[in-house]
Amino acid sequence: MTVVLAPIDRSCPADPPWIRPRAAYIHIPFCAHKCGYCDFASLAGADHLANRYLDALAAELELALDGPRPVASLFIGGGTPTRLNADQLSRLLATIARWFPLLDDGEWTVEANPGTLDPDKVDALASGGVNRISLGAQSFQPSSLRALERNHDPDDVSRAVALIAPRFDRWSLDLIFGAPGSTLDQWRDDLDRALALGPSHLSCYGLVFEKGTSLWKRRLDGLVRPVDEEVEHAMYAETIDRLSAAGLLQYEISNFARPGHESRHNLVYWANDAYYGFGLGAARYVAGVRSVNTRDLPAYLRRIESGQDATGPVERLDPEARARETAVLMLRRTAIGIDREDFRLRTGFDLDALCGPSLRRSCSRGWLEDDGRRVRLTRSGLFLADTVMSDLL
Amino acid sequence: MAHDPKFIRNFSIVAHIDHGKSTLADQLLLQSGAISQREFREQLLDDMDLERERGITIKARAVSIHYTLDGQTFELNLIDTPGHVDFHYEVSRSLAACEGAILLVDATQGVQAQTVANAYLAIAGDLALVPALNKIDMQAARPEEIKEEIFNTLGLDPDEILAVSGKTGAGVPELFRALIDRIPPPSGDVQAPLRALIFDSKYDDYQGVVVYVRVVDGTIRVGQKIRLMAMEREYEVIGLGQFRPREVPVQELGVGQVGFVVANIKQLSDVRVGDTITDAHTPAASALPGYQEPRQVVYCGLFPATHNQFEDLRTALQKLALNDSSFTFEPETSDALGFGFRCGFLGMLHMEIVQQRLERESDLSLVQTAPNVTYEIITRKGETLHVSNPTRIPDAGEIEEFREPYARVNFLVPSDNIGAIMALCEERRGDYIKTDYITPTRVIVTYELPLAEMIYDLYDKLKSATRGFGTMDYELLGYRPNNLVRLDVLVAGDRVDALSIVVHRDFAERRGRKLVKKLKEEIDRHQFEVAIQAAIGSKVIARETISALRKNVTAKCYGGDITRKRKLLEKQKEGKKRMKQVGNVEISQEAFLSVLEAGEA
Ligand SMILES: Nc1nc2c(ncn2[C@@H]2O[C@H](COP(=O)(O)OP(=O)(O)O)[C@@H](O)[C@H]2O)c(=O)[nH]1
Ligand code: SF4
Ligand SMILES: [Mg+2]
Repeated sequence: MTVVLAPIDRSCPADPPWIRPRAAYIHIPFCAHKCGYCDFASLAGADHLANRYLDALAAELELALDGPRPVASLFIGGGTPTRLNADQLSRLLATIARWFPLLDDGEWTVEANPGTLDPDKVDALASGGVNRISLGAQSFQPSSLRALERNHDPDDVSRAVALIAPRFDRWSLDLIFGAPGSTLDQWRDDLDRALALGPSHLSCYGLVFEKGTSLWKRRLDGLVRPVDEEVEHAMYAETIDRLSAAGLLQYEISNFARPGHESRHNLVYWANDAYYGFGLGAARYVAGVRSVNTRDLPAYLRRIESGQDATGPVERLDPEARARETAVLMLRRTAIGIDREDFRLRTGFDLDALCGPSLRRSCSRGWLEDDGRRVRLTRSGLFLADTVMSDLL
Repeated sequence: MAHDPKFIRNFSIVAHIDHGKSTLADQLLLQSGAISQREFREQLLDDMDLERERGITIKARAVSIHYTLDGQTFELNLIDTPGHVDFHYEVSRSLAACEGAILLVDATQGVQAQTVANAYLAIAGDLALVPALNKIDMQAARPEEIKEEIFNTLGLDPDEILAVSGKTGAGVPELFRALIDRIPPPSGDVQAPLRALIFDSKYDDYQGVVVYVRVVDGTIRVGQKIRLMAMEREYEVIGLGQFRPREVPVQELGVGQVGFVVANIKQLSDVRVGDTITDAHTPAASALPGYQEPRQVVYCGLFPATHNQFEDLRTALQKLALNDSSFTFEPETSDALGFGFRCGFLGMLHMEIVQQRLERESDLSLVQTAPNVTYEIITRKGETLHVSNPTRIPDAGEIEEFREPYARVNFLVPSDNIGAIMALCEERRGDYIKTDYITPTRVIVTYELPLAEMIYDLYDKLKSATRGFGTMDYELLGYRPNNLVRLDVLVAGDRVDALSIVVHRDFAERRGRKLVKKLKEEIDRHQFEVAIQAAIGSKVIARETISALRKNVTAKCYGGDITRKRKLLEKQKEGKKRMKQVGNVEISQEAFLSVLEAGEA
């Protein structure tokens, strides 16, 4: 890894998508409350900075881009973007649309949390150009919501869906399994209740105790215990079975969708394609360089307001490391996996020359399947994906 | 310069570790004008990285100092020696090239186990001892008490004991005078045919083997045809020199002189330390008394972590052997670990140093098996076997008598710690011999211990039992029969030969239980359940099960996560590098060594 200056985008429209982004991520850090498992760049109690933040965001875009960049996907994540009021949302969307005009058939997702939506906000989103909503439901069990330190109750989810569903064709729910104290039956119930709401897309994540979070500390102190690995295994297996039976097919380790409703934006990450990123803690990958903005809100505001960029660590991988990383990311795509032809085109490396022995090893253990053209995780490989992937690096 | 032996003195400095030998050596160089104040930096003579880190002089070196006393210039040859017990052998061979030795004792620490041991080596070699207290510049120095200790332990006259500071140079002129007065000059025959003792050698990439010699009789000259008497090989001297401390070429070395010889010798194995160099045309009638070959007391298997690096490891070992003739290696095959080498070392520290140097200098990842000693086995058929690899121990039914090496160990400890030392030795099957008081507060406790019980952590245990004040030294005694058994480890049903150990029958159950427990912690979970068993013959005496790894998958990986997740995966991969695949199970280096920790009482 070499350290280079943060890139100012001077790429040419003809550059391939792993060099010139066709996707942009915008971060809104505000939240009503900090959840127990959350290690995102998010903060509660800072809403008074929202207008200043939106100004800074606009300034950051102005600083980094020399003109509008048409994109195929936009993703506004958080934090909780819908923590902004309707006016702020409209203003945000207008700014973004100016810099990133959406190409035909483009996808524009906004993340929302139960309890933060109202008809005005939904209207602002829909009329501002957004065409996909990702709602953080996480769980329908009061006990799990408590364990995860979420501050909404199960009914808030259906209320939010009632607002979203009439206006958006494409909407998704996020769920978390393996909350401390949760059981397999409770998780089955979560899946049922989620399916009953009729989403075209579901993200189901096994809970991770991220370093520094409240849950992590409580586990260290012995106050909470992760669910048994056997139970977690069963929960994940159940997820795959139930959702596919309901027509939501798995296309990534934690993502399921009705065919055609996959998140195009997230597929950009798993193809190791380029993307822009703006806002607090936002990551970007432009012209082969990864960089991340500071996660410190006052620092972000100060730097942008004084005309500096807000970039923190920068990383540029050598071609081989980039190719290996690409292989790992592509393997996350459970349905398509790594296409040899595509891999060579994007990385310049022959997949088998690069990691033939480890692919064969995992194939022989039944974790990968290889039809000669594509390599992808098998059902049993899904559960041990990190073992398979680390071998590729 | 004239080589009149009358004006030559050859000596070593012997001391317990850290008593200031290297610092004093530098001070001698400084006061003789051989180095400048600027060059007087600590431990000038220790130039290997590892030595600097550990503060231990590993390889003996020789320096010639020219010192003028009362208008007469003397050549003083200082032969540096290592202080650690593992390197006794190197101490004694350095001493063989001297007529005297400075016995250096830290005036704050007093007599320590290796002070005593090294002093006895010097006395046994008929050397004139010049005792000196060091570090007298320090507040905590207790010169009178320490002189008393030296008298009580070694019988040296307190009035003859000098007081110096290697750091400030105080007392060093007096020390020079004492060296010249008290150490006899070399007594060789100038007219006789050449006899020079090889006391060390090293390999140099440019010059080939460089041989360190001490001329006893006659003269060695550039251009001379020489013969190595034991090896029966002949060479032409192409270069001679001395270290002052920089290499200075000379045309000849006469009686009593110390220096190095370059003679186009290709391999270190062509030279035997302790051999005699003579003139090829007019050879001496007999060689000088040589040395005992160094004895390897600790063995372990070294295997490349990656299968195809066997040849690389061989090359690396050969290269290291060029500069260290005191470790041995021979190819060995393990079912579990594949092709590697069984290596013999002078002691644990020596083993550690060799392993670190191998990894550092060759960029190889190594898997090391638990160290062990050599066992002597009398079979039912009446054969005597010496086995330094537990795997090769025959089945119990074939063994008539199972013997293990013992050592006599002297612990020099504060008298308050007698109880702790005894407990330490009892739980290691030690036989108590005696306790000697050297002062009312310090004692030498002597035990006879199975060597196998000493090699792992006895030294560390001693240090912690005595809050750092205890020291130890040992000498080997030979083999004694005991009720020993081979304890095998089965992982997933297969015996892992590299995990076998030898234990006393009475301790077998306890060790077996600890061992499988430890292995359970050290072996990563696999995708299937892994049973770990300890067995004597076909009898399983302990068992643990490692549950299967059911789920190992990162749930989330979006734009902001990619770098971090990749690094986590890289770390997983890195951890696997030092793993050995045994059947379907991957076993880490730590697991192979955990055998040792399970041996802790
Ligand atoms: N104060 C003081 N420290 C000394 C003296 N001689 C050596 N030392 C220190 O004692 C430590 C060990 O010295 P060293 O020469 O490496 O000991 P060696 O292991 O016997 O070679 C080092 O930290 C030296 O700086 C001395 O005369 N006075
Ligand atoms: S709502 Fe989301 S971003 Fe905000 S604190 Fe909770 S988990 Fe974190
Ligand atoms: Mg030293």
